[in-house]
Amino acid sequence: MAEYYLGIDVGSVSTNIILMDESNKVRYKKYLRTQGKPIEIIKKGIEDIVKELGEVEIKGVGTTGSGRYLADIIVGADIVKNEITAHAIAGLNFNPNVRTIIEIGGQDSKIIILRDGIVVDFAMNTVCAAGTGSFLDRQAIRLGIDISEFGSLALKSKSPVRIAGRCAVFAESDMIHKQQLGHNQADIAKGLCEALVRNYLNNVGKGKEILEPILFQGGVAANIGIKQAFIEALNMNVEVPPNHDVMGAIGAAILAKEEVKKKGRTNFKGFSIGRLKYNVNSFECSDCSNRCEIVEIKSNNGVLARYGDKCGKWSNIIKKEDSKLA
Amino acid sequence: MSVKVGLPRGMFYFDYFSLWKSFFNNLGVEVLISPKTNKEILDRGVNACVDESCLPVKVFHGHVDYLKDKVDYIFIPKIISIHKREYNCPKHLGLPDMVKNSIKGLPEIIDTEVNLRKSNKFLKKSIIETGRYFEKSDRKILNAFYDALKQYNNYLKMMTTGFISLDVLGKNADMKVIKNIIRKDNNRRILILGHSYNIYDQYINMELVKKLKDFKFDLITAEMIDEKKAREYAKKLPKRMFWTHGQRIIGAAYYLIEEKSISGIIYVSAFGCGLDSVFIDLIERKAKKAKIPFTLLTIDEQTGEAGVNTRLEAFTDMLDWRLKDESNFSTLW
Repeated sequence: MAEYYLGIDVGSVSTNIILMDESNKVRYKKYLRTQGKPIEIIKKGIEDIVKELGEVEIKGVGTTGSGRYLADIIVGADIVKNEITAHAIAGLNFNPNVRTIIEIGGQDSKIIILRDGIVVDFAMNTVCAAGTGSFLDRQAIRLGIDISEFGSLALKSKSPVRIAGRCAVFAESDMIHKQQLGHNQADIAKGLCEALVRNYLNNVGKGKEILEPILFQGGVAANIGIKQAFIEALNMNVEVPPNHDVMGAIGAAILAKEEVKKKGRTNFKGFSIGRLKYNVNSFECSDCSNRCEIVEIKSNNGVLARYGDKCGKWSNIIKKEDSKLA
Repeated sequence: MSVKVGLPRGMFYFDYFSLWKSFFNNLGVEVLISPKTNKEILDRGVNACVDESCLPVKVFHGHVDYLKDKVDYIFIPKIISIHKREYNCPKHLGLPDMVKNSIKGLPEIIDTEVNLRKSNKFLKKSIIETGRYFEKSDRKILNAFYDALKQYNNYLKMMTTGFISLDVLGKNADMKVIKNIIRKDNNRRILILGHSYNIYDQYINMELVKKLKDFKFDLITAEMIDEKKAREYAKKLPKRMFWTHGQRIIGAAYYLIEEKSISGIIYVSAFGCGLDSVFIDLIERKAKKAKIPFTLLTIDEQTGEAGVNTRLEAFTDMLDWRLKDESNFSTLW
């Protein structure tokens, strides 16, 4: 039976699942839209593996992304890691000399600065999502362009229009205004790409020493218009790894491999989890004025996890051991 | 029944709670401090306060709203300046007026003006003005103050040895302090910077102190650096810093950066803070030159913790990574 490490990246927009072999090669990948239903999508992803590959042996599991703790509860992870570290690990695995990683996801964007194979600096977007994938998604819908064609359309532009990129709301009204003036779609698409890149470099990349080799990772890296805009703005070469859309999951799987080597076994709960039913309840605890929002996840075998409380009253009921029985 | 004065647990409370509480107690006045910030207080504050203000001011409104039916007076001094030739944030200057404008049904507000911009001697006037609400004798008022000041100075001294008030870290007691384990090996120490009301209010910064403790890092705050030391280092700025909080924050940061006694800096800033926009930039540049990692946490009304957790985990991962690689690190850049 084939032996793999499983990496799961549960992001706000997409959930990415990969299987990696002992030599860190990706043997299976799945890019699913999270659509606000992370548990269902994780289950679907796990079931898809069985459907497409049959039973395989999972030697280790790593989770990352904003839903990493949830994924851990459902799947049973050996390591739960933040996206920055996961992306850095995956980037280093692809190119050990990488010195800058640009990562643009659905709701956040990051820059990771590496020197001699270690992370020395990083930044994430602050409060606004203007420079992220969901911003582009939304503007593409407004323009009536399919997001997958957005990049190639932008490349056709001869004189891009300038669009304010500092704030998603301003950008949208600026863009509409330019549309009403009669600019063609290619010029507007290119203008948006440039606005996103400008915003990224001024906000996330502010004050960072961007040096080659540069890797461009995350879902947005599929957009060749953005890649081109980065190349023009930085006047440097920007490389998009072939598995750019699942780099977080790859990083998680690599970390899981290391972790399992150390402890000798995996926490993976088995492929049966795809067939379990999960119920999620949330309620507001009224025992004190903090009014914490408690989330409770139940499966056929009882309560799997409760979290969200500040005092530990609800989350402490569940012992880690019990939750692994499922 | 004795008179009751309410102290809202917000803004300057985190700097002066020890002084204020002892002063009123010395005058035989009962003090009621609003509870730690919680969701209800935040909601009340957001509803009451003008929309464009920063998070800590909104939270402060929530604390006042909580106290308003429970006390005879609420103490909201108008702290214009606490140091010669220096000012505070304009929101401090207008705080009692903002509160009075936005919240209905308030008890009497003790909004004594404290303005030491020209000279320290104006402090006496402010003390007596506040004390007069409860005591006729100026001598008794001043004695009550000097005694409180002694306790306050003791508290400040304790802070400089690495103690953090329990009030900040947990449980209820106000003046009890616990040791903030600062160990000899200082390579796992993070400097937390920001306005006191952002870094010590564990609700609005999502339990930053506890989270960093869980990552086994020692913490140091600007208040733990002796004020004189901080002012000495703040003088290194090309232009004099005229905000008092800035003197402390920038001075402490410069001192610790130059001493190289910290492994990283986390700046906690409320969204839209004008003062912070200046401090952050100055400190980030200095930290960069000294190759000390710096990160910014912007806080606002959000209660989802994923964003803060990701940043903290990534930051501490990076510090661990660098520490593991210390020998390599010196050859970088």
